[in-house]
Formats: sequence, structure tokens, C-alpha cells
Amino acid sequence: MASLARKNLLEDIPRFLVAQAGIMFAVVLVTVQLGIYRGFLKSTALIVDEAEADLWVSSEDMVYFELTPSLAAENLFEIQGLDGVELAEPLLLPSAQWHSQSGQLSTMKVIGFDPDGELFQPWNIIEGNPEQLDEPFSILIDRTNLRPLDIGGVGEVADINSIPSTVVGLTEGTQSIASSAFAFTSLESALAYSTTAFSTSLSCQSDADGNLSCDRVARRVPQENWADNRQEARTLQASDTVTHVLVRIENSANLEEVRAAIESAIPGARALTGEQVAERTRLYWRDRTGIGFTLGMGAALGVVVGVVIVSQILYSSVSDHIKEFGTLKAMGASDWTLYGVVIEQAMWMAVTGYAPGTALCWFIAQWTASSMGIVVLITPLSSVAVFGITLAMCVGSAFFAIQKVTRVDPAIVFKA
Amino acid sequence: MTLLNVPPTRNATPARLNCPEDCRTIVARDIGMSYKLGDRRVPVLRDIDLSVRSGNVKLLMGPSGSGKTTLLSILAGLLSPTQGRVELLGENITALSKAQLSRFRLENIGFIFQGFNLFPALTALENVELALDLRGIRGKEARDRAQAMLEQVGLGDKASNQPRDLSGGQKQRVAIARALVARPKIVMADEPTAALDSHSGHAVMELLRKLAKEEGVTVLMVTHDPRIVDIADSIIHLEDGIIQGS
Ligand SMILES: Nc1ncnc2c1ncn2[C@@H]1O[C@H](COP(=O)(O)OP(=O)(O)OP(=O)(O)O)[C@@H](O)[C@H]1O
Ligand SMILES: [Mg+2]
Repeated sequence: MASLARKNLLEDIPRFLVAQAGIMFAVVLVTVQLGIYRGFLKSTALIVDEAEADLWVSSEDMVYFELTPSLAAENLFEIQGLDGVELAEPLLLPSAQWHSQSGQLSTMKVIGFDPDGELFQPWNIIEGNPEQLDEPFSILIDRTNLRPLDIGGVGEVADINSIPSTVVGLTEGTQSIASSAFAFTSLESALAYSTTAFSTSLSCQSDADGNLSCDRVARRVPQENWADNRQEARTLQASDTVTHVLVRIENSANLEEVRAAIESAIPGARALTGEQVAERTRLYWRDRTGIGFTLGMGAALGVVVGVVIVSQILYSSVSDHIKEFGTLKAMGASDWTLYGVVIEQAMWMAVTGYAPGTALCWFIAQWTASSMGIVVLITPLSSVAVFGITLAMCVGSAFFAIQKVTRVDPAIVFKA
Repeated sequence: MTLLNVPPTRNATPARLNCPEDCRTIVARDIGMSYKLGDRRVPVLRDIDLSVRSGNVKLLMGPSGSGKTTLLSILAGLLSPTQGRVELLGENITALSKAQLSRFRLENIGFIFQGFNLFPALTALENVELALDLRGIRGKEARDRAQAMLEQVGLGDKASNQPRDLSGGQKQRVAIARALVARPKIVMADEPTAALDSHSGHAVMELLRKLAKEEGVTVLMVTHDPRIVDIADSIIHLEDGIIQGS
């Protein structure tokens, strides 16, 4: 019986190819949508995933890793002194405005880190090297941002918050699809970028008992005055702010204990593992963008189109071979034997449509990654899942064909 | 006679051995059949009583529209009569459920059709193997048995031909091989020579008769074809749904 299903399928090659095309369409849509979903979410937390910190110390009001109130830099020094902490390094993530030579304006996320540090380094550097970031106002950007940022390449200059800055290298596959363009730079440069748009002053008040209480007040500097407010690059001081403090704990230390020690030493701060920060970031983007729903609709559309095409093909195939099904029935084949023929056809379609569909997805993923920096994440697990969906889709599509087979009257065999 | 012709390599089935001389393989009692046309019932068969002796080849003849195909379908368990009952091999098949009937046909009846009803996508050998496959016989045993059966119908060298590469007579011989390969006790055929020229029609029916006699198979065959009456042990004439004589 095995050969009957396969041979009936191959008997009408054009129809078989149409079925394959329909299945490939569904496979590609589902795989790509799933891949974009997973690639998108992964990209949003790449920076976190790449950092080698055991703990991220951030404000307890952090929404996700890019959107969080700052910490006072003095906290950094405090954390460095805690028991169990081997190393603590700051991360400064100011937002900025990018002004290209030709006057194009873009938003930018500056990633300020210690180029000599150990807990965070840019990765996948395809041109230049991080040591060059020691020079003030040098940046690394992702290759796929060259065009959006209207800049030609390494060696070219543009303004970040009115500070002329030089691209000294390029990275690849480092950009979050959801965020503004990243610029990797030294802490000192990031500090200068972050303070250009603000001037800070102390505002002190004395209460009824004569106690003096002071707050640091940051005031926005009007954009036309940014150039005047320009800061020289200088090292971090206790009065500055940082976005996160990355911590590596000592080998002998207990993570939970260090975490508790940090949180009790710094009120208003929370120490999370990188995985927790990444998860919070991915959840933020998932919920914020509704991307799961959007892409899920796309994938569902693929499945619906696939079901329609495969149903139609199976139904017409059964209609064409109705006499054969009648003959089998007359000969005494059980209903399940007949269903088996239809289902086996459906499974052959699934397998032969899935394989080229997946191959196509693989090329699509290569292409989008290299040309647009959009990661379509295809993993073995997601491939298996898509195969399961394909199989279910094809077998489900056999429903109407099976209905038709069930209704075949074996007495037709004696009718001319 | 019949039993003596069984080759020693083939096991005679117990049913056959136990069958007394006048044993009837096919018995129909008081069959009546009418089709519904709108709110009218159109009678097609009336008061049909017949029996076919084991190992006999019986022809069912009569003018067009006399109800031959309808009667054959009822006797084969493909159609339920509106009245009466059918016993095959001593079993009242009129009382069987659809699934039981299907099983009964699978185990006991081989079919031969006017239009051959071969599976066009399969080779001659695979067409014959299919009948074994349905009975759960697969692999080398099925292939060997199918090949041997094709050789018996003289088509040993056409095993890998597809039906479209066979002549009408050859196709019908493949169909005979398919009908007989699983050693059914009954073969039912509706106008098996209608699509063949008279020479090959007769030759093919001679072959069917020979093989059926070797195996002790009971054959019931509807035909219009007066040139094959010589292969029959007996003949039933049907006219307007009534048996005229046998
Ligand atoms: N499904 C059906 N519904 C209604 N009437 C039917 C049906 N099948 C057959 N008939 C009628 O029953 C009568 C007998 O038909 P049947 O096919 O048994 O004749 P037949 O003897 O086999 O004829 P032929 O030699 O032309 O094949 C015919 O009048 C036919 O019109
Ligand atoms: Mg007829």
C-alpha cells in the first residue's frame, strides 16, 4: 500500500509541485516569522547576553536594561569594597543625538564601558580594535548602521550631542533591532556625551531645624548651547552617575549572599543576574511591541494558506482516484487502510515540502543577517517545531479528502 | 475432478475438503431489490432464489437493464437487498455490519471488473501484490507469490509493466491474477470480456476457468457475451428482474 500513496502522488507531477509550493510557502512563513520573533527578542538583549557579569546592579525602577534611572557613581566604589565582589565595572548608557556631516539627525544609544575592563567588551569586531577607544570620542558602530547613520566607514566623523566623534571600527551582529543605533565608546567619552545635554548643580535647602539637605539637579541645556556646554573627556567621579554596575563575584563567594549584601548596601538598587536582566528586556519588548501577536498572525496565515492548498490538492487527488478507492473498498480494504493512503500522501507532501522550504529559510536567514542585520533565528529545536507544524498541517488537510473516501460506495466498481 | 486437479504444493482449505458433493457456496433466498426514485420505489429484482455449487463457474446472463449488475452487487455484499438474504460459504452476509462485510470480502472474494480497475500508478506485479498487502502479506513472500501468479496467467515477463503498457487482454489477465492470488473461495466478475475482442475475451475466460478449477474456486460471472457460454458449468437467465431458468 505504501507504494500506492507515493506513486499516485508522483503520477501527477505538476499537481505535486503546486502542493509542494504551497507547503514551502507555509514552511517559509512559519519559520521566518518564528525566526524573526526569536531573533528580534534575542537581539534586544544581546548586550546583556555578551557581558560577563555575574550580577547587574541597577536601579530598582529599571524597566529594561536601556531604560533605567541612573545610579550614583559613588555606589560603584562602594560595591567594589564589598565582601565577595572580585570586580565591579560601570556601564554608562546615555541616549544621544547623532548628526551626520550632511546634516542627517538620528537617535543613538551610547554604550560607555571601560575598554580595559573585563566584564563588558564589544564583540564581533570586524574592523578596528577596542584599544583605539582610549582616544576620546572614538566609537565603534555596527556595520549595518553605516547607511542609517549616513556615514561611510572607519575614519569618518560625525557629531554626537555636538561633540565631533570618529568611527574607529565596526562590529557585526551587535545591534538590537528594537533600539537606536549603538555606539560603543569609552566611559570617559560616554560621560561627556551624557553631560553635554545637561548641566548639573547642587540645590540645597535648610529645613525648620536648620538641617541642610541637598539634591543634585540636572537641567536640560537648550540644544543650541550644547557646543558651549561641551565637556572635556575626564574620568568618572563620585558625583557622576552610571547606568549599571557590572559585578563579578569571587569564586568562593555565594551569589545570593553577594546579591543581598549589594542590595542592603545601596538602597534603591537591585542586583540581578544577566539572565534576569535579559529576560526582563525581552519581555519588555515582547509586550511593548506586541510582536508575538503580529508575527503569530503571519505564521498563522502561512498555515492557513498551506492548509487550503494541501486540502485542495489531496481532495482533487482523491477525486481523480475515486475509482481506485472504490476498487480497494470492494476488495475489502478497511476504512483505515484507505485513510492510510490519504494520510501517507499528506505526509509525503509534508516531508517533500518541508525540506526545500527549510533550505530556502536558511538562505533567507543568511541574506537578512548579512544585508540588513535582521537575525532570523533558526535553531534545531525551532526546525523540529516547524516540521511538527507542517506535518500537522498536512495531515489535518487530509480531513476533506478522507470524508470523500469515507463516502465512496464500493458498488460503483460495477458501474461503467 | 475438481479436487484431483489441485496441485500438491497448494493446500486445499478445510472448507473445501469438508464440502459435500452438493455443497452450495452461493445461496440467495427470496431476494428483492428496488431503487428509490423520488418518492417512488422502482423494483429491479423480484423473488430471486439461486444457488451456485462449490467450484462451479456460473454465468448470469440477460438483456441490458435486467438487473444483472444489481444482483451481482447484492451477492457480493456490496449492496444490501431490500428483501431476502444471501449466504456465502454458509454465512448469512445480509446480517453482517459494513466492516464485517468488508472483512468477509477481503478474506473470501476476488473481483474482476469490466474496466479492469487496475491501479495505473502501480506495475503489474505491484497490482497483484496489493491484494496480498491488504491481507497483511508483504515483503518477499508477497512478491514471490505475485510473481508466481503472474506466471500462471502467462505474464511472468510483464511484471514491471504499468497497466498502460499492457494490452486489454493482458490487463484482464493481471486482474485475474490479482483476484486469485490470495486464494479466495469465490470470484465475482461483471462483464469481464466486454472490453476485449472476442478472441482474447474467450482466451482470458478459458484461463480463468482453468485456474478456478485448479483452485476449486466458485465463479459467478455476469456476461452479455454468448461466445463464452462454453466455459460455464451452468447459466442463469435474468429478465426484468426475474430468473427465467438455469
Ligand atoms: N443506483 C441506482 N438507482 C436507481 N436505479 C438504478 C440504480 N442502479 C441501477 N438502477 C436500475 O436498475 C435496473 C437494473 O440495472 P443493472 O445495472 O443491474 O442492469 P444490468 O442488467 O447490469 O444492465 P447492463 O447489462 O446494461 O449492465 C436498471 O433499470 C437501472 O436503471
Ligand atoms: Mg450491468
